[in-house]
Amino acid sequence: MTLVQPNPAIIEEEPPVSLWRDAWHRLRRNKLAIFGLGVVVLLAFVAISGPYLTPYDFLSQDLAARNQAPSLAHLFGTDDLGRDVFSRVVYGTRTAFLVAVVVTAIALVIGTTLGAIAGFFGEPYDRIIMWLTDMAMSVPNLLLVVVINASLKNPIARWMEAQYMATLNPFYRETIWIDFFLVFGSMALISWPPYARLVRAQVLSIRTRPYITAAMALGLSNRIIMMRYVVPNALGPLIVSVSAGLGTAMVLESAFSFLGVGVNPPTPSWGNMISDGLRVWQHYPHLLAAPAFVLGLASVAFSFLGDGLNDALNPRGTK
Amino acid sequence: MTARNAQERLLDVKGLTVEIDGRRGPAVIVDGIDLHVGKGETLGVVGESGCGKSLTMLSLMRLLPNKIKVTKGTAEFDGRDLHKMSTRELRKVRGGDIGFVFQDPMTSLNPVMRIGDQLCEPLIYHRKMAKADARKRAVELLRLVGIPGPEERLEAYPHELSGGMRQRVMIAIGLACDPKLLIADEPTTALDVTIQAQIVDLVKDLRNKLGMSVVWITHDLALIAGLADRVVVLYAGTVVEDAPVDDLYANPSHPYTRGLLASIPTLSDAPTARLSSIGGTPPEPGRRPAGCPFAPRCPLAMDICRREVPKLEPISSGGSHRAACFAVNKALKAA
Ligand SMILES: Nc1ncnc2c1ncn2[C@@H]1O[C@H](COP(=O)(O)OP(=O)(O)OP(=O)(O)O)[C@@H](O)[C@H]1O
Ligand code: SF4
Ligand SMILES: [Mg+2]
Repeated sequence: MTLVQPNPAIIEEEPPVSLWRDAWHRLRRNKLAIFGLGVVVLLAFVAISGPYLTPYDFLSQDLAARNQAPSLAHLFGTDDLGRDVFSRVVYGTRTAFLVAVVVTAIALVIGTTLGAIAGFFGEPYDRIIMWLTDMAMSVPNLLLVVVINASLKNPIARWMEAQYMATLNPFYRETIWIDFFLVFGSMALISWPPYARLVRAQVLSIRTRPYITAAMALGLSNRIIMMRYVVPNALGPLIVSVSAGLGTAMVLESAFSFLGVGVNPPTPSWGNMISDGLRVWQHYPHLLAAPAFVLGLASVAFSFLGDGLNDALNPRGTK
Repeated sequence: MTARNAQERLLDVKGLTVEIDGRRGPAVIVDGIDLHVGKGETLGVVGESGCGKSLTMLSLMRLLPNKIKVTKGTAEFDGRDLHKMSTRELRKVRGGDIGFVFQDPMTSLNPVMRIGDQLCEPLIYHRKMAKADARKRAVELLRLVGIPGPEERLEAYPHELSGGMRQRVMIAIGLACDPKLLIADEPTTALDVTIQAQIVDLVKDLRNKLGMSVVWITHDLALIAGLADRVVVLYAGTVVEDAPVDDLYANPSHPYTRGLLASIPTLSDAPTARLSSIGGTPPEPGRRPAGCPFAPRCPLAMDICRREVPKLEPISSGGSHRAACFAVNKALKAA
């Protein structure tokens, strides 16, 4: 017997495009998303190469040139200590990205691990983890962070001081690390639950998809199925929420700095610049406008990019 | 064992019982099924939607979903009980000795993996092939199942192929490691009629060429008339009739089988004739009537049918044709 010859009429001709390239095509058609992507890339570039871009040191004071309006010499003017606002905003970008990336990374690791365990192994882990998640989500964020910072900062500072006295290791003098440690830690603590929920839901739904059963029917090992079948299919929504999460983390950091529990001066952060600017905005509006504008831009850019990725990675979603 | 013939059993399932631990307590879905497939034989498994065809086959490979468990019975493949194997041995059987083609071609392929990579997976895993060799074999397989331009298709993602093409790819994956047994679970229900026929022809050719055994699941008796050697009819998780395919068509015995055959339109029917169908619906698992599960829908039901469960008994001289029905047995004894 000969093999059946395929009927050429039933073959659909479509140019072979990969899933990711497909997503890229869709993303490119979305103007807002491209705007978001452009801003994010620009800000990232500024954050990385900040020190080489700034005309002044962010700490150098020029008391003869205080509170100057924007000019060619000082693009965003100067503040009440005569520091160049443009340079401080640029350094603030670095702080914002550092906080956003580190916090999101920590939250992602915690959330993905817990979510995957809950989804994959089911009861009793599922119940315990979901209980933890609900609890973490039900505490008002700002309250939690303020409490942590207020209650932990002094004991840790004292402990560091004692360590320094005992060991004379200069590491223990760097109190800036307490700041970062507490800011990163407390922000990550309130940021992981959405990732845990998302990953759990993803794993739960992917686990019952027919292609997982089909992969098991091929005799593939659990590890291969996890790595090549479950994880890649869960990635799309995760990328989307990470993009949105980065923007949220930046806003959160500014909110904390504004409340005085974020990164402490003199390290420039958009939040503490806004907080300083707010006191004098009637006289020197540029001190408020410059950091507030950049923060707004960053947060809008991340949310446009997130929305764009969401549409691009969901071929069945709205066009 | 004796020389190779259809009597030599490759797959031998005895008393297979599958239960679900549902919200309303445990319910039996598959109720003591006996099945066997000889070497080189093609077995058709027929039954309405929901009668437990897929779960029976999944249970053989220990692929049942959560909360659904095999509670009784044995399933010997090549002399070894699939339900008692270590996970390691079982993985070698899955995809190696037994190829599986799933019901839904649209969702049974990994959407983020290229066709070629999915085809190579079992070859690399079971045959320990190098990537380059596996790709060569993948091209051969795609050509074997009649996919044009196989080299380019390797790079395609599932969503770039039509349903018929995807079903061919699934068959190619099922065949990748030259299985001794191919289990095809309604591989054509999602496709339109011309493509259905093509797929049936394809499997027929491949079976004749490769000499493997096939279990073909369907709810369409007409479709497997030219394909199967023997047919098992399932109703509500039990075997109600088991016969060589020609016997079944010439002499359908169980009222359910007769109902199924009567609901197939034939060319001699007047175009205006109404299609007959079996009234009522099959019982839900857990709400099975006492006695014969078909009794509520059966035109021949008697008192005994509502009290006792009929056993699968031979109704032909050779014993190859069996049915589980009191009315059939009574008629035979009377004759
Ligand atoms: N995951 C599940 N959870 C609960 N019940 C299930 C599940 N899968 C199947 N069932 C039940 O088990 C019974 C048998 O299902 P099965 O999928 O084996 O039917 P089938 O004969 O393959 O039907 P179809 O022709 O529709 O594929 C059905 O009544 C169904 O409701
Ligand atoms: S046993 Fe009775 S009820 Fe069941 S199919 Fe036969 S005649 Fe009908
Ligand atoms: Mg089925």
